[in-house]
Amino acid sequence: MYEFVSGPLVWIAFIVFIGGSLYRIYNMLSSSKKEKVVFPHMSLKHSVASLIHWTIPFNNQYMRQRPIFTIISFAFHICLIIAPIFLLAHVILWDESWNMSWLTIPDAVTDGMTIMVIIGCIFFLYRRLTDPVVQNVTDSSDYLLLAITALPFITGFIAYHQLFAYKAILIIHILAGEIMLIAIPFTRLSHMLFFVFTRAYFGSEQGHVKNSKDW
Amino acid sequence: MKPTIVKRDLVVDTALDQCAAKLTPEQIEKVVNEVIDNETGGRLQTYVNTCIHCGLCAEACQWYLSHDKDVSYAPVTKVKDTIWVLLEKKGKVDGAFIKRCSEIAHTECNVCRRCGMYCPFGIDIAYMMLVVRRICAKLEMVPLYLQDTVHSHAATMNQMWVKPDEWIDTLQWQEEEGQGYVPSARLPLEKEGAEIMYSVIGPEPKFLAQLLGNITVIMKVAGLDWTMPATAGWDNSNMAMYSGDFEIMARVERLHHETAQRLKVKKIVMGECGHAFRGAEYDGPTWMGWMKPPIPIVHAISFYYDLIKSGRIKIAKKAEGPITVQDPCNVVRNAGLGTQLRYIMNAVCEEFVDVTPNGRHNYCCNAGGGVINVGPPWKKKRVQGNRVKAEQMKRTGAHTIVTPCHNCHSGIEDIVDYYKLGMHVKFFSDILIEAMEIPEHLKPKEE
Amino acid sequence: MLKIESWDWESKEKMLADTAKWKDKFEDVWEPYISPDGEKIASIVKVGEGEFNIAVNEGTWEEPFEKIWYSRFSPDSRLTALITKDMEWTMAVDGKPWEQMYEYIWDTKFSDDGKVIAATTKLDSVYGITVNEKTLECPVNLESIASYAISSDGKTLAAIAQTLPLGQADLDGFLKGTWSVVVNGKPWKDNFVDIYGLAISNDGKNVAAEYRAAICEYGIVVNGKPWNEKFGCTWEPVFHPNNSNEITTPVRQAGQWFLATNGRIVWDKGFVSLLYQTYSPDGNNIAATVAPQFAKWTVAVNGQPWAATFNECLLQPCFSPDGRKVAVIAKDSGKWLLVVDGTVLGEGYDNIWQPVFSPGGDKVICKVEKNGKYAVAVNGKICGNTYEALWNPVVSPDGTRVMICGVEDGKYYRKVVPLSDI
Ligand code: SF4
Ligand code: SF4
Ligand code: SF4
Repeated sequence: MYEFVSGPLVWIAFIVFIGGSLYRIYNMLSSSKKEKVVFPHMSLKHSVASLIHWTIPFNNQYMRQRPIFTIISFAFHICLIIAPIFLLAHVILWDESWNMSWLTIPDAVTDGMTIMVIIGCIFFLYRRLTDPVVQNVTDSSDYLLLAITALPFITGFIAYHQLFAYKAILIIHILAGEIMLIAIPFTRLSHMLFFVFTRAYFGSEQGHVKNSKDW
Repeated sequence: MKPTIVKRDLVVDTALDQCAAKLTPEQIEKVVNEVIDNETGGRLQTYVNTCIHCGLCAEACQWYLSHDKDVSYAPVTKVKDTIWVLLEKKGKVDGAFIKRCSEIAHTECNVCRRCGMYCPFGIDIAYMMLVVRRICAKLEMVPLYLQDTVHSHAATMNQMWVKPDEWIDTLQWQEEEGQGYVPSARLPLEKEGAEIMYSVIGPEPKFLAQLLGNITVIMKVAGLDWTMPATAGWDNSNMAMYSGDFEIMARVERLHHETAQRLKVKKIVMGECGHAFRGAEYDGPTWMGWMKPPIPIVHAISFYYDLIKSGRIKIAKKAEGPITVQDPCNVVRNAGLGTQLRYIMNAVCEEFVDVTPNGRHNYCCNAGGGVINVGPPWKKKRVQGNRVKAEQMKRTGAHTIVTPCHNCHSGIEDIVDYYKLGMHVKFFSDILIEAMEIPEHLKPKEE
Repeated sequence: MLKIESWDWESKEKMLADTAKWKDKFEDVWEPYISPDGEKIASIVKVGEGEFNIAVNEGTWEEPFEKIWYSRFSPDSRLTALITKDMEWTMAVDGKPWEQMYEYIWDTKFSDDGKVIAATTKLDSVYGITVNEKTLECPVNLESIASYAISSDGKTLAAIAQTLPLGQADLDGFLKGTWSVVVNGKPWKDNFVDIYGLAISNDGKNVAAEYRAAICEYGIVVNGKPWNEKFGCTWEPVFHPNNSNEITTPVRQAGQWFLATNGRIVWDKGFVSLLYQTYSPDGNNIAATVAPQFAKWTVAVNGQPWAATFNECLLQPCFSPDGRKVAVIAKDSGKWLLVVDGTVLGEGYDNIWQPVFSPGGDKVICKVEKNGKYAVAVNGKICGNTYEALWNPVVSPDGTRVMICGVEDGKYYRKVVPLSDI
């Protein structure tokens, strides 16, 4: 079992993730061409300006207006991406099978980051349950996505601390990670892929076409 | 997903009611899919698929804020209750649903694009509301007064059923009014090769003719070479853009720009109107296949900014007391004229008090996006839907609000009335005409 | 037709008026107009409080009026203007007002020979087309006239008119149709939601227009009979120059523009935009302004777009007399350009007026503007003087000379230069 989830399934997950992502992006670009104005309205300069203002915390008015949300959401997203990539244990796996390795972050730090992701998930869950606007647009898929996101981190945390049933938890952890990878291109987790594009378009339209700003 | 709980006072709009009664499911399904398949693309799909249901856009919308955070007015809710369903059900909805779509898109959203600026993804909800309006328009599900205005555009190429002779007659009359201030002032009609074509919106000749007199004086004092057309094509406004009747929108915009081309002018200067600028600068040209207008169009704010900054117009006596401003979305948030607006406000006012939030973050007046044009039945809802604007204006302590946009002007007047703010609402040119210096040689001779 | 042959093609240069003197003589001088033969220049002038006149060459009209506007020369060089007397309006021709006075009068138009002078008038709240002082009788009271067209011979006058009253916010009434076309006083049998783009065939026999059938449904109607085909949108139709049964118009289908003749799509390729379809003089070729892609404009001749595109806009293309060449004014990156068969000729200008071809088609002549001065450009290059005011150059019928009329230092000159010299 362990061999399967940590062997071929990883392959499959990465192939689906990368292939699926490329497919979704290609699809989005080609169907955007149908509307003749979309590409002529784009501008690199204004796309970058928009991204700079929306990927640096507190770099736009709205983020400053909601400090708590901004801090948690940034911490969450940064940790979500950084922790798995630079976790020592993950890098070792890459090294073993591919002879590839890179910088790692001390385990204590990635542990903290994992906790941060879990806190983020709890925070988002709390908002979904209590904020009337969010509640009104929430359905089961939103909870599912939250679960898909939280599970690899919760299981990773348990596995790292070897709290119980290490082997079983480890298998679940790997599976959860694979599910998440596979889910990214095909669910609304794809906002991770499309973020750059929707921002670039709105930034271009506000800046290039409308001579204004979007932050 | 649970349906949104919607609490509204009953509004009777005969056009919507009659249309809801007569639409068949087949008609609806056909039109919805036609619009989605032929007129939208990856942009709409990506917006819908990327929205993470986070609700952050809610805080942007004056409707939501003014209704004590009633979720049914939140931008994302407006999308949920319209386009999400249309896409999911592939157009298999009934007349009552389309009617609700029109209520949401035509009467509860000003397509002001503030929410787009508050969504972390830059999802343009206003664009999606325009797609909904497009579907509604093709099904004739458009509020009575808005549709009537669009019919006026279609039949007369102006917003107010103004007939060709009435138009010219009004200009000739207002030329005389202007000559009361400056006897040598002239309103040159059909002057081919002039530097500037001046264009206005339909309500000016109909209800606010003094603005035409004002501009006659301002042009003379500034010594500019200008003209106005004596044919259709003089009206730069465009409610068809807001009902969703894009063919009529394009016909109106095309005529406006071709009139400028026919007159061989270098630029079009337009009066103080927000949506007209949007139509003439972006929406119209985009439909026509122009990246930008073939003859550049200059909004009144930029025009006055240049005149004051260059000293072509000098200020003799600044307006007294605290005066504030309404930033029209379509020329500030969506055209970047906020800084110029502040420059001219400071130039003509002794004490200019800014609003908060201001500039491109300003709240919409709630009249824009065609919402004032849906007419009397919807007025109460519109005014109640912008309590935050009343509070914002009140905080400034100003005695006058300057609105460089016709819709804002009427919308803010209604708000001042309803919330008993006791403030005056003026166009910038109203203030300028009082404040500017009229050189000795242009003044009327004493008898 | 106008007798251009009879104009003075011999005098090399005539100074016909010193308009600078007008400025001293009158309180205000408006922009000048010239007669088609170039012999007269005229400006509306203010002669006193509420008193206007027209200065023509060295003189003025005999009688001043309370108001004068829209001074236009007829093709046979008579000067018309719209005037008021005792708060009523009428047309004045060479200083002599029509006897009939109107509540309002506007939009003067002429037959090609200038014998017919027409205008829209309003009298006792009824609108009409008035031709040589006689209002065309119409069996119904016209509520409004949006615009009208006059045939070359002046015998056919067609107006887009509202023939039924419409109540306030009467959506159903509007969609049932209140607009029609009134040809020489006779309205078409049916009404339409809207009518646009009126055209009269060269022989004056047929009248065509765009009509709107429903909210987003358009078509072409000829002599009151609609084409069977309907489209998402249309633009104004044009007649074949020698065959009044052939009508061509841009039509929109599934978000693209196509060219259709008598209802059938004739160009297989669709465009983002398609405007100003123009027949060659013999009617064998059609050119149109098209955008194959968003914000990329060019001319398509018989459906084939030129390779070069321009990023702002294009005006109406025009054919050389033999129909082989096509010239168009294009705007690219803020400059106006003269383009012939896809090649830019000369430099960019601040403005370019509609060009004319020499009879042999080898020279394209037009009025251009640069730094506030005007000049004549041949194949895109400025030839000769610059002027404060200039009118479109006219090529003589035998193609050997060009008449250039312009104002220099306030003086109005009419010059005739051999085409070979420029
Ligand atoms: S009114 Fe403005 S902020 Fe509110 S939903 Fe519409 S576009 Fe967004
Ligand atoms: S802020 Fe953007 S992502 Fe969030 S709910 Fe609104 S539209 Fe969707
Ligand atoms: S009316 Fe004025 S504030 Fe309101 S949408 Fe237009 S520009 Fe915006």
